[in-house]
Amino acid sequence: MKVKRYLRLLGIQLKASGLLSLQYRADFFTEGLTSLFWTFTALAPLFVVYSERPSIEGWNFGEALLVVGWFTLLQGILEGAINPSLTGVVEHIRKGTLDFVLLKPADAQFLVSTQRFQPWRAFNVLTGIGLFVYAFMHLGRWPSVTGLLASVLLLGTSTLLLYSLWILTVSAAFFVVRVDNLTYLFTSIFDFARWPSSVFQGVGRGVLTMVFTYVIPLALMTTFPAQAMLGRLPPQSLVGAVVGAGLFAWGSRQVWLRSIRRYTSASS
Amino acid sequence: MISVRGLRKHYKVHKRPPGLKAALRSLVHRSYTTVKAVDGISFDIRPGERVGFLGPNGAGKTTTLKVLSGLLYPSDGEVTVDGHVPQKREEAFLKKIMLVMGQKQQLLWDLPPAETFELNRAIYDVPQAQYKKTMSDLIELLEIGDLIGKPTRQLSLGERMKCELAAALIHQPRVLFLDEPTIGLDVAMQATMRTFIKEYNEKYGATLILTSHYMDDVAALCPRVIVIDKGLLSYDGGLDALVQRVRPEKRVVLRLSEEVDAGRLSPLGRVVTHESGTAVLQVQQEAVNATITRALSTLPVMDLTVENAPLEEVMSELFAESKARRTAASEPVPA
Repeated sequence: MKVKRYLRLLGIQLKASGLLSLQYRADFFTEGLTSLFWTFTALAPLFVVYSERPSIEGWNFGEALLVVGWFTLLQGILEGAINPSLTGVVEHIRKGTLDFVLLKPADAQFLVSTQRFQPWRAFNVLTGIGLFVYAFMHLGRWPSVTGLLASVLLLGTSTLLLYSLWILTVSAAFFVVRVDNLTYLFTSIFDFARWPSSVFQGVGRGVLTMVFTYVIPLALMTTFPAQAMLGRLPPQSLVGAVVGAGLFAWGSRQVWLRSIRRYTSASS
Repeated sequence: MISVRGLRKHYKVHKRPPGLKAALRSLVHRSYTTVKAVDGISFDIRPGERVGFLGPNGAGKTTTLKVLSGLLYPSDGEVTVDGHVPQKREEAFLKKIMLVMGQKQQLLWDLPPAETFELNRAIYDVPQAQYKKTMSDLIELLEIGDLIGKPTRQLSLGERMKCELAAALIHQPRVLFLDEPTIGLDVAMQATMRTFIKEYNEKYGATLILTSHYMDDVAALCPRVIVIDKGLLSYDGGLDALVQRVRPEKRVVLRLSEEVDAGRLSPLGRVVTHESGTAVLQVQQEAVNATITRALSTLPVMDLTVENAPLEEVMSELFAESKARRTAASEPVPA
């Protein structure tokens, strides 16, 4: 009953976002162009590095391209589905209109997380899929069915992780009000996810790889699904990713609930 | 319906003197002061009552409303609204109440109000049949039929406020908190809002708490007022009784057929204003009859009315009184 109600709510929020997006149709083309441009600039270092040597830390060009593909795809999800809503929260907090969200008899985290989608921004999802196809053509083989299924599962965990990280960032807005800098910090850190996590093994005796696996789980988001597509991901890593993402989501939910309690609303 | 016992809400606020030096010092050593927004107030409100919260800016009116609607945790005291403890924010409670804020809006800015209505219908789980009925009532009462299809950003302030009210009432709240609902509206629109709010209260038996800077709102809507000043309750009772207490004098308004000297008016009472053929006199209540008789016999009176002092004046006198009391209390008694 409850699930049905929330699904209906999601449907209505999606409809409202859809209506809005139709008002800004031109965005589709500008987003498409920007996405292609950024993908090209993201690929440039890859071409430079791989023209010198055939593989880095066990990743050849085609395989590293898969990681970039996952990075691009997740960026599409981030900008199309996660970012717009959660940037809205920061606005709500600043203007004090979060009051209206908290007055509603529905979960506040759900309401703010689904308030806005920007489908045109999700162009990167298509670019990411394009990169997968190109990468596998380059590798001269196709992924196995189990590999594909595992990577689809990991798409879910990656999205959950990304969303949870954003919830944590947004929760900070209850304490500092101006959260713009934090979001910049977040996007710059997320940028590391375009490389296979083992690339950082040389830095500080693998400390960075550890950090990106367990603290800010970037490796789980892009490297794991790429490995799964290649059929190289050990089953325990898959389980670890699912459990880890669940724990991370639970943790961020607790932080959100605590932040809400602290919220005292802008004075009118 | 609403019971408030010893409600306190204190904020810890970071405070520093102006200037770069103080700003740098405050990075390391922060000093805090406690602001007592609400400092121990108690009252009860019966179902269906219309109560006005009055008080100067920063008196604690909005804070009290926010505690009552579950947005703020009280620092101390007990609050119940229709059997619920507001800060628990239970769904059953939230479905019964609504807070309308004149300075903040919930309508989706780029979409027509109808979209917000639809969203609220889903959030509040309002059955389709009831929604249709309520909506057609609201559209008729507020005359917003032409507006709900236009993007919100294209509506005027008054039109938007009417749609805000409609959005707030889709779930037929039994308790309605109105925080400055008529702010920034023109006189005609204010009157429309008042009529509507009163009709809603009468039709659905909803309990209503209103804060407003426009005394006309309070006078038209609220038989009972609660005056809050500096977080303390300084009056709770009928509006008429309040006026009687603070300003027992009446005002006799005389419209004169020809100009008269000020000297002819002053024996009748204190002259409040006297210009272009209209004179306003302030007289003791028991002297009203005598004053009228005398005015009619000595002055060229065309028309005459007896009124209470304007509420604005009553309020500012009340606030000045309590301020003076506070100052007196805080000053050391001379030996």
